[in-house]
Amino acid sequence: MDIENLPPSQGLKALPDQDHYEVLEIGRDADAEEIERAYALTCAAYSPEGLAAYSVYDDQDAAAIRDRVEEAFRVLSNAETRRVYDDKICEDQGSPPPGAEAPPSPLAQAPEESLLESELLDVESIGSPGSDIEEESGDFDGSKLRRARLRRGFELEQIADITKIGAAHLRRIEDEEFSDLPANVYVRGFVTAYATTIGLEPERVLPGYMARVEAARTQPRPRFRYRG
Amino acid sequence: MPIDMTRGTQPAAGPSAFAEAGAREARILSMGGGKGGVGKTFMTANLALALARMGLRVVAVDADLEGANLHTCLGVRTPRNSLADFVAQREDDLVKLLVPTHHPNLQIIAGTHANLAEAQPGHLRRVSLMRALRKLPADIVLLDLGAGSHAAVLDYFLVADDGLLVVQPEPTSVENAYTFLRAAFYRRLRLAMVGHDVRSLVSQAMDQRNERGIRTPFDLLREIESIDPLEGRRFAETMRRFRPRIIINEVRTAEDVKLGFAISSVCRKYFGIEVDYLGYVNFDEAARQSVAARTPIVESREGSDAAIYLQRIAKKLAGASNGGEPVMDNADGSSSA
Repeated sequence: MDIENLPPSQGLKALPDQDHYEVLEIGRDADAEEIERAYALTCAAYSPEGLAAYSVYDDQDAAAIRDRVEEAFRVLSNAETRRVYDDKICEDQGSPPPGAEAPPSPLAQAPEESLLESELLDVESIGSPGSDIEEESGDFDGSKLRRARLRRGFELEQIADITKIGAAHLRRIEDEEFSDLPANVYVRGFVTAYATTIGLEPERVLPGYMARVEAARTQPRPRFRYRG
Repeated sequence: MPIDMTRGTQPAAGPSAFAEAGAREARILSMGGGKGGVGKTFMTANLALALARMGLRVVAVDADLEGANLHTCLGVRTPRNSLADFVAQREDDLVKLLVPTHHPNLQIIAGTHANLAEAQPGHLRRVSLMRALRKLPADIVLLDLGAGSHAAVLDYFLVADDGLLVVQPEPTSVENAYTFLRAAFYRRLRLAMVGHDVRSLVSQAMDQRNERGIRTPFDLLREIESIDPLEGRRFAETMRRFRPRIIINEVRTAEDVKLGFAISSVCRKYFGIEVDYLGYVNFDEAARQSVAARTPIVESREGSDAAIYLQRIAKKLAGASNGGEPVMDNADGSSSA
């Protein structure tokens, strides 16, 4: 490696020198959905309640990052302010307009084998060839549902809020505690709502899952004998 | 020739280099984490077995000489000979310390019977050890590191082709992981610098309350650039190549899953480094039971959530060794991919 030919600082930029795209850790060609998602992740990372930042940044520094994130989102989430901003950074940096040659985003730079945000959160990727989610072939059972839910970033309570189904029932569906669930017709409805909420097609989930419910419920009950 | 302690935790060498039969060396993976009890040994045992079941020749090495129990997690009774014999210079040939497990592709070098008064090897012995590890008859050597940020632990982490960091979604674990990363990061930067003045500056920056007011690696970079632009470029390049990978263990909620992305973001913003989020393993009662039963969960309960997540991580690691194509195990008919 010829160190002398490397550009100064290798493009490393401290926060004050970063542009809005770098603050949100997205590429210049990010669409509205990517911006929303990056904003949500970054807010969570630097929130006072978050685990990730508090032992590295003091309150003041973390607040400064949150301010930068808010400002970046305010500008980039509005098409008009974003266009004005893009023109300005192109002018300042003498770089090509966004879309023409977008700098690679940190996610794009990640090697293939690292976990990508899209694997976890991109609901559209479900069913696309090569996604980890698709690799789990076969019928759905409770734990497979739970894995699919976690990968998509849903808490049970969120699904309960959206579907109005009690979190306890949802947990029983994942734990396959069929004896504590209501009649099959209700379970079918619960599983449909659960699957739809996390972005799975119910017709992919229902056959396998309901077969397990029915099999468990048609098993002969143990007989009790009175001893006397 | 001194061993290059600055090569590690960069993206793995290309598959072509790995596939060159004859000349190839074992790829070294190190499992660190800073804090004790976060699941490093559990992760090492399970990933080692999962990789072996994919058809790779694996040696798991217990480098935690002060708390050795990797052999127990793999169901091997306390071996008489161990890495401690190499450290104490009673044995120079690591191959003689290999102990078989019940899986033909997996061998271990235990860490038992260490001299606790002097468990860690000195620098020269560490250098010999790392050279010998690369020459082991294996595709992958997986090192289970001890807790803390001792120089030996940092060197094992830095010299590896992949430095893996296990983190639990708890404040203490996250905090210790950053402490470990900071120590490893500055150690590597110091080793990469050539000039005495710049090395001394990096040493000063390692004290978080240093008088020069250097708080972050970016502050340090600016200082170095002002002293010696060439060293500044070398520093920046070292930052760019330092690329540890994290695994979140005992995940219970979707928020815990996202912690990996949050830590990556903090590392990018604070340290200026890329940290790959390799994957996560959920909290699973079956995992605790597998430790009690001294059998890795990827074998005893391979359909459990934890085993599925572990196999997924192993597949990613194996992919990096084989041009993205996990090796299938034909020996016992299983396919862990």
